[in-house]
Amino acid sequence: MKTNKLFLALTALALLACNKKQPEVIVPQAADYKGTVTVMYQGQPYDNENIEVNFTPSEDGKTASITIFKIRFVPQMPVTIDVTIPNVEITSTPTEVLLTCDEVIPQAMGGDFPRYKVTNLTGVIKNGAMDFSLNFGDVPTSFTGHQLLK
Amino acid sequence: MLPAVLSILISFTPPIDTLPPAYAKAFKESVPLEKLAAPVSVLLPAELKTEGVVSQGRLSALMPSLLIPEYGASLTSTIYLRGVGSRMENPSMGLYVDGIPIMDKNAYDFDWTGIRFAALMRGPQATLYGRNSMSGTLVLQSAAPDGEKHMNAYAEAGLARTLRAGVTASFGRHVLTAGFKHNAGWVRNEYKDKLCDPYNGLSLRWKWEQEPSGKLRWSNSLFATLSKEGGFAYGLYEDGILHPVSYNGEGSYRRLSVIDGVGFHYNGDSFTLEGTGSLQVLSDDMRMDQDYTPENIFTLQQAQNSATGTAEVILRSRKEHWQPSTGVFTFYRFNRMHAPVTFGRAGIENLILDNANRNIPEEIGYLSIPDDNLLIASDFGIHTYCAALFHESVFPLGRWRLTAGLRLDYEGGVMDYDCLASLHYRFVPTMKADKAFQVPYRGTLTHSSGLQVLPKFSALFEASGDVSLFGSVSKGYRAGGFNTQIFSDILQSQTMTALMKDLGVYLDNLPSSVGAENTRYKPESAWNFETGVRLVKENFRAEATLYYMDVRNQQLTVFPPGKSTGRMMTNAGASRSLGAEAELDWRPGAFHFHASYSWCDARFVSYNDGNHDYSGNRIPYVPAHTAFASAAWRHSFTTVSLNLSASVRAYGPLCWDETGLLQEPVHVRPEARIALSFSKWEIWLRGENLTGRTGRNFYFKSVGREFFSLERPCNILLGISINY
Repeated sequence: MKTNKLFLALTALALLACNKKQPEVIVPQAADYKGTVTVMYQGQPYDNENIEVNFTPSEDGKTASITIFKIRFVPQMPVTIDVTIPNVEITSTPTEVLLTCDEVIPQAMGGDFPRYKVTNLTGVIKNGAMDFSLNFGDVPTSFTGHQLLK
Repeated sequence: MLPAVLSILISFTPPIDTLPPAYAKAFKESVPLEKLAAPVSVLLPAELKTEGVVSQGRLSALMPSLLIPEYGASLTSTIYLRGVGSRMENPSMGLYVDGIPIMDKNAYDFDWTGIRFAALMRGPQATLYGRNSMSGTLVLQSAAPDGEKHMNAYAEAGLARTLRAGVTASFGRHVLTAGFKHNAGWVRNEYKDKLCDPYNGLSLRWKWEQEPSGKLRWSNSLFATLSKEGGFAYGLYEDGILHPVSYNGEGSYRRLSVIDGVGFHYNGDSFTLEGTGSLQVLSDDMRMDQDYTPENIFTLQQAQNSATGTAEVILRSRKEHWQPSTGVFTFYRFNRMHAPVTFGRAGIENLILDNANRNIPEEIGYLSIPDDNLLIASDFGIHTYCAALFHESVFPLGRWRLTAGLRLDYEGGVMDYDCLASLHYRFVPTMKADKAFQVPYRGTLTHSSGLQVLPKFSALFEASGDVSLFGSVSKGYRAGGFNTQIFSDILQSQTMTALMKDLGVYLDNLPSSVGAENTRYKPESAWNFETGVRLVKENFRAEATLYYMDVRNQQLTVFPPGKSTGRMMTNAGASRSLGAEAELDWRPGAFHFHASYSWCDARFVSYNDGNHDYSGNRIPYVPAHTAFASAAWRHSFTTVSLNLSASVRAYGPLCWDETGLLQEPVHVRPEARIALSFSKWEIWLRGENLTGRTGRNFYFKSVGREFFSLERPCNILLGISINY
């Protein structure tokens, strides 16, 4: 009788254990974000405010491209430009999407833009917010912003 | 003392010519010209011949306050009258030929072979003549059939291989006129080493009139001109030096204009009913090197195919103390315009790439357009329509003649624009290959002049049998419309913006540019107040007028700032013209004296172009004075008579721009004519601009550079005419 009770308890425990779901990872979705890009200029932070950033994952969900619209790298620049960072590795967890990229040539003005080679990109998308930092050439740059609701 | 001398001279001289009935029907007024409460200048066939009036430009200064500088090409027709006028779009002076309103300014300038009568009524004539008769109306009348058979032929040859010839044949109910004009050109284009302004033109006119009954008269007037010419003889003005004309592109103008008008006149017992209808077709093609330099910067083509239909009916009643005229008028015009602008290599470099790359940091790269030519195609379909209702009542009350009139005029327009810029571009160093790129710019615009209310009040008082005093208050307007010439500028700007957006580059300081929605311009209107006196006694006629015109929504041609390529009409301000005019015609015995003079102080009341305030400055291109004086003497021998005449015309000074800093002194052009007249034929020798001085007659800016054109030099012409 004791053996039966023990068996039933183990079985119930096993069933319970089987019914408990594993936490799901976030599926990266294409989205637009708006926030501030800060570039370091002569050792001082220079903010580009109200900058839009587009995040578009690849079909397999392993990489993404990040496009920063109308960024100005130095205050004296008489133009702003769109810069796309391709092949950013993404790692999804149940709570966030991690962004990493050791080195890549960004695209701007119709082609590759090696002058501002991207290095050391790290970032995270979490709770509708995006934050990342990188070096554009030798210009340390960071972005922090929130997803735009469509 | 002077009045006494005049009185004695007048009393011993034969009567002055009166206006023949054939010419009187050219007018819409229900009163004779001499009873009109407006200043009128009249040229009869003899004066047209003596003064060599073979086109509208020859009226300058001959008629007070009028300046029609001859430059550009036949489509130019810039007319300044009483301080009002403009280089582009709608004229401020109406033109009627054989009772038909000429609706397209491009057709204003034509060979006057066959024209027998010209009259200019100054001041707004909008009540009866409608749109664009804001500062006056020029009425022309061609030879009319008189039931007899006769023919007149003439030929005239002069310097610059000038050749004019024409024949007018009248038989039965028909008059046929054919004219030919050739000129090798006056101005050498140094770059091409050839004359740039030759002219070849043909004109044909057929007029038919029939009176099937004593009450009804029908008529048809067909007029066609075909011309091919050069033009645009503009020289670069730099550091106070005017350089010779030198440009590398094509400068030409071809035009076919066909105008047919039908008319009827029914004479009832107590009323008359008149009607006219016309169909006006114009097909032209202008090619212009728009930078006017040897550099391959940019060229313009403007080809128009337009058709216009007009219709008017006027009912008049003849009562002793009330002579009302009531009418309706309508027209519809469609103009298909093809106006591509082509940038050459220098234009791409200087006007497009320089502007774009100036704002791009060198370390980022630069924009390159490898094309040899960049085409900005612009096609327009412009519909213009108008309906008007008008009434004018004349009240003859003893020695008074009072006139009250009102016109309600509605005009609107629709423009479809279809523009396309096509190019290849490459951003260096990021792009590895050229990329084809197109920027379309299409849409539809509408405009409305609104309901124009155009009143007129006038009074004429016959102080004596010879002297009349008159005064009037009237309003006229010049139609609004669309700027088409600015579209190349708009598309340049659109192209650069789209191209930069395609690249992902955004300039902080975008060059300012208007959009299509800014290309509408409103009608210009003017209130005119004037008073005058007229003396007509036998062989003496004199007229003097004082006027004040208050012009609102003034249409001004402006050039967008910087190295822009277009120009546009804008309602930039308000102005006023204060002036005086006098005209005298006296024919004592074998002599004929004619003189005219005008003074005009035309100034901006308010005009701020966004950069400068020009209020109080003189209006550009308007001469402060015009003057003309001629003396003719005729002596008859047994079978021949000798005719000698000499005249001088002058105008100026004038300002070339709104600042008033660049001025032109008074131009004086003496002329003379000697003729031997036999019973059937006449030979003559005449000279125009005898001093040979070629004053500047037009100024403008293009791409930040200044240009002038010059008056034609001295011409000596030998002519013969035969009548039988």
